[in-house]
Amino acid sequence: MGSRFRWVQVLLYGFVSLWSLFVLLPTAWMVIGAFKTKREFFLDPLGMPASFDFDAFERAWGTGVGGFLLNSMFVTALSVLVIVVVSAMAAYVLARTDNRWMRLVYLVIVAGFAVPVQAVIIPLFQMVSGAGMLNSLFAIVLPYAAYGIPFTIILFYAFFLDFPRELEEAALLDGCRPVKTFFHIVLPLMGPAVASAAIFQAVFIWNEFLLALLMLTKPAVKTLTVGILQLGGEFTSDWAAIMAGLSIAVLPILTVFILAQKYFVRSLAGLGK
Amino acid sequence: MASLQIRNLIKDYGSFKAIRDVSLEVPSGEFVVMVGPSGCGKSTLLRSIAGLESITSGEISIDGRDISKVEPFDRGVAMVFQNYALYPHMTVRQNMGFALKIGGASKVDVEKAVQRAAGILRIENQLDKKPKSLSGGQKQRVAIGRAITRSPDVFLFDEPLSNLDAALRSQMRVELGRLHAELGATMVYVTHDQTEAMTMASRIVVLRDGIIEQVGAPLELYNFPATRFVAGFLGSPRMNFIKATVHTIDNDHLHLEAAGLAGRLRVPLLHADNALDGMQSGTDVIVGVRPEGFVDGDVEGYRDWRIEGQVAVVESLGRDTLLYLNGGGIKAFDSESHEGYLAIHRTRQLQAVHGQQLQVAIDPGAAYVFDASGKTCVFPLAPNHLLAGAA
Ligand SMILES: Nc1ncnc2c1ncn2[C@@H]1O[C@H](COP(=O)(O)OP(=O)(O)O)[C@@H](O)[C@H]1O
Ligand SMILES: [Mg+2]
Repeated sequence: MGSRFRWVQVLLYGFVSLWSLFVLLPTAWMVIGAFKTKREFFLDPLGMPASFDFDAFERAWGTGVGGFLLNSMFVTALSVLVIVVVSAMAAYVLARTDNRWMRLVYLVIVAGFAVPVQAVIIPLFQMVSGAGMLNSLFAIVLPYAAYGIPFTIILFYAFFLDFPRELEEAALLDGCRPVKTFFHIVLPLMGPAVASAAIFQAVFIWNEFLLALLMLTKPAVKTLTVGILQLGGEFTSDWAAIMAGLSIAVLPILTVFILAQKYFVRSLAGLGK
Repeated sequence: MASLQIRNLIKDYGSFKAIRDVSLEVPSGEFVVMVGPSGCGKSTLLRSIAGLESITSGEISIDGRDISKVEPFDRGVAMVFQNYALYPHMTVRQNMGFALKIGGASKVDVEKAVQRAAGILRIENQLDKKPKSLSGGQKQRVAIGRAITRSPDVFLFDEPLSNLDAALRSQMRVELGRLHAELGATMVYVTHDQTEAMTMASRIVVLRDGIIEQVGAPLELYNFPATRFVAGFLGSPRMNFIKATVHTIDNDHLHLEAAGLAGRLRVPLLHADNALDGMQSGTDVIVGVRPEGFVDGDVEGYRDWRIEGQVAVVESLGRDTLLYLNGGGIKAFDSESHEGYLAIHRTRQLQAVHGQQLQVAIDPGAAYVFDASGKTCVFPLAPNHLLAGAA
């Protein structure tokens, strides 16, 4: 091991450490801020709180963060479920077909992945509004799913291309038609791919702001991202409460991400094959 | 138990012809081994029988019933894949019982079938393990067990032993032989390994570029290969092929000249049906001599066909010795033949070393002669049996 290699290593580690600090410090500042009193927050913005009490969390919770949290959980869980189920079945068919029109369908789906939400936000809003589906937690699942499905299909498509064909052939000889093969053999072996797709989409949907802002305007249906905004309006000077609300918003998804990152990393690494 | 008939089977992949007109009858209970070099269409043929590939034309029937359009499961065949293809998320028991379960058999029946197969293969105590925790040999047993539980009419094996190490391979060869005897089932076995073909087959089918080159019992093909391809493919080490030219043909001998040989090779003509039509003085032929078709160079009566050379490689196999000889002017000409060395098999121990001078002589009575198209024109009188004494 030459010293040259050592130096490259030191540099790389230094860079990664700095980058991590850059990302983590504001997060830490948010969490610490949530424990401060209003006074402390303005007098000593970068210092530590005198005592760790949960007053700010109680104030934030009192404005209905609990409801936003539930809404976010519901929307995220349902969207992810729809995305994973639809994408898995679609990708399986697309990856296994010889039909050239299906290839075209796949290309269209890939193209769909490249369309930014912002570009179609006005027609999308008009469609949802026209269908009378504004302010519905079920309705917002549809555009979320529509935006999650293309990427997830690409992810699963790559997974299926690598999936051992002999297993499906063995199942065929064992008496499974494609649908049975999918549910008995393929689906149970999709664990890592499903986990990574689910976590990826969950983070995206949990943090989604623009669509939620436009389509969920009644307090009862707001998700965390837009709910917290309302918090900012109510507590113009209570930054500690806002930080507490934000912490509550970030914590669940962060936990899920950390628990699932093992699969996530593995499956994304597999994509490069 | 069932017979298998293949009639005029053709399989094209686009413009590429993978199988060109194959016809074959496999009687009930036979163990037929299809052998041929990689890419000759063995898997394609097997997969066509299984229904995993659609065929371009032709007919495949089992017991006279045309199955070429039937769904794979309803064909009554079970297949064992080269890389096992066990379902990783199921235990051995579930793997083996899966087909019956899907077919709607009762739990009791599934368990009974699994126990029976596990008993035959002696894997009763592996039943609750997942495939991941099994060794290669055990995995292959489970894969075979999965086929047995279904009690298929025809078993299909696609190079099932090629992922195992040499020792395990020879053990499994014996085991498969026992299995065939025990089940009495019709089995079609595909391999590129001529040893597996020679040792296990009731009948060997030699495939080449999607065509059947020859069909017959192992020793029949070994002793009477119809073509140079078959002669070279069966037998290890490979037959030595030497270029020669016809000098004269008389009533009972073919006289051949080969560069590097002192005298003319007098090959006895004993088989009436040998096609020497069109052969005359000057025709190029190829002489084939199996590694055991040589005698010591100083044996009386063989001196004219003496080859002097240096020992290039010595392989002591215990009782036997394999020598690779750099034969000077005489050399095995096709590249597959041990880099031009002559392979020589002695049924005794030899203390030869690299570079040592050695004299051997071709036994003309053990020589095959092939014409330019690769067809066998002359077979030896009694292949092999002369040689045991001479060596
Ligand atoms: N799906 C396919 N598409 C095109 N060519 C194929 C396909 N499968 C096999 N082949 C070709 O057919 C020939 C025979 O293949 P295969 O039956 O697998 O050979 P073997 O099993 O004897 O090694 C090979 O040349 C292979 O490249
Ligand atoms: Mg093959």
